[in-house]
Amino acid sequence: MAGVCTGLWCVADRCITKLSMNMAKFISRNTRKANSSLLAFLLLAAPFTVPGVSAQSTDPDDTEAARREAPSGVSAAPSATGQKPSVPQAVGETAEVTRTLLAKLAQAVSSLEYRGLATFEHVGSMETLEVVHGIRDGEQVERIRYLTGSPREMVTRSGDRQCHREGNPLTRPGLHSAAGLRDVQASYVFLIRGEERIADREAVVVEARPRDLHRFGMVISVDKETGLPLKSMLVAPAGRVLERFQFVELDLTPVTDSELQPRSPSVREEPGAIACTPAESRWRLGWAPEGFKPVAVQALADGQMLVFSDGLSAFTVFVQQLPDMNYKGRAVRGATVAYMDHLDVDGARYTVTVVGEIPDNTAQLVAKAVTEKQ
Amino acid sequence: MSHGNHQQRLNESLSALMDGEANELEIQRLLKESDAAGSASGGDLNARWSRYQLAASVMRGEKVAPVDVGLAASISAAIADEPPLQSAEPLPANDTHHNASRSRWWRPLSRGAVAATVAFAAVLGVQQIQAPQTQGDLVAETERPQQAPVASMPQPSGFLAPTLNTRAVSTAPQLVPEQRVGPAPQVQMVPTPELMRHLNRVMVEHSEQAARVGSQGMVPHARATYGERPSE
Repeated sequence: MAGVCTGLWCVADRCITKLSMNMAKFISRNTRKANSSLLAFLLLAAPFTVPGVSAQSTDPDDTEAARREAPSGVSAAPSATGQKPSVPQAVGETAEVTRTLLAKLAQAVSSLEYRGLATFEHVGSMETLEVVHGIRDGEQVERIRYLTGSPREMVTRSGDRQCHREGNPLTRPGLHSAAGLRDVQASYVFLIRGEERIADREAVVVEARPRDLHRFGMVISVDKETGLPLKSMLVAPAGRVLERFQFVELDLTPVTDSELQPRSPSVREEPGAIACTPAESRWRLGWAPEGFKPVAVQALADGQMLVFSDGLSAFTVFVQQLPDMNYKGRAVRGATVAYMDHLDVDGARYTVTVVGEIPDNTAQLVAKAVTEKQ
Repeated sequence: MSHGNHQQRLNESLSALMDGEANELEIQRLLKESDAAGSASGGDLNARWSRYQLAASVMRGEKVAPVDVGLAASISAAIADEPPLQSAEPLPANDTHHNASRSRWWRPLSRGAVAATVAFAAVLGVQQIQAPQTQGDLVAETERPQQAPVASMPQPSGFLAPTLNTRAVSTAPQLVPEQRVGPAPQVQMVPTPELMRHLNRVMVEHSEQAARVGSQGMVPHARATYGERPSE
């Protein structure tokens, strides 16, 4: 643990433990509601309690703004956090460590071959599955098979090969570029949360904490050796875990062709039929949560789909002509929400569906912001 | 004055959201405000949200590094017993009295006092986790049910992980139709096969797309495969 403690913080930690025991009895009498207001008071009071420290920027917004201008945190941090040189330095170093780790992760998930057994939990239910990830002709091939519940299996191909052949390689957004890493740090604060052992491997625990209300947080345990995510959790406000994926066993030796062959008759094959040159979108969003940028537009048989991502999470907007589809509201499965609405254009009715691992209300706001391009 | 009231309401909503107690209206209001991040109040709200989150971590006894938010920096610096710094901000002359009283107020706030504040918060945090969670009385709760706490979570600490059950769970999407305004009872929606097929299809398509952009490894694929293929 010594690695993650910036000296001062450990001191604080010890104080918490010691004093909390003394005060536990007193606090237990408080009602829950009173707790929140008291908590709110403490938090609101906090920025003023130590005026000296934030002398150069009394407004916490300045700190935030400075950080955004220079997400590296190295140049901005000293002025933002006052005259405490050890803290900014730690921030700068950790930011560098985080970036390296995220770049390694992005590289690992797209280039490593592996197979393993994993658990996938949400809403109190857990299933186990077998996963295989191979690279064939520069293309990622995945086979997923659930080992519990009803038999489900799927083989997917990333579809990169076809695009490479057409001399139009897909640009990978997100963590694959320095710019992507910068962007993602504008939407999330990354924290190193410690280390743990998953699937008999040592991992570094990274938390991506959202900077606003329009996205969920993530806690990812990254394999120290390879950078592969061994465990990932999707976290809603107040630390509620919506979903957890975790390897139980991982084998990093090369994958054979037969391992990528489906095992069950019920297999679903996704051809990865994606257009290399993005289609021209007929629709646009009058509003999207900050940081979410359009990354793909795909034509469907009955409409279009538009994909948006902030580098970590993504949502997809479907605008389709579906006869007799009058449902308006949301549907939830695991951590994924789908919000459905209608849009009437020139007397024709379109069904708008926003799907993603985003807060329900954000999905609803996005759905209502879909309009036809002028 | 109305601005102050508005701000206060927002703050209350924000703290309700942190406790998982915000209602639909409050969440809508927060999102709207948060979205106007360019404006002063929106920026303030987002900064406050960041602080709440960090403080919540502290309360849950998490080890958090780096300490890169103003609040946390202030706490650790105070514990190190830094002598109070001169305010770099030039103060208006008529404000000196106020300033003097303020610094007098804070002077006794030594190492122990600040640590006690933190400890206080820490206890509250533990309490909140242990408090019985109300289930199903809010729309948001029914959609993404609040999980009962698990004490023996491996690290990192401070997350409310689902308690597991072994019963078979339907992999079909759970529907929550748009609620009408007014006291009319919510009609239980019987999903048509077309609707379920549509939902399954868009969720699979989305997961496939998300797999390409998110660097999340196998997780989107696991999501895409999760739903049963609806009967044709």
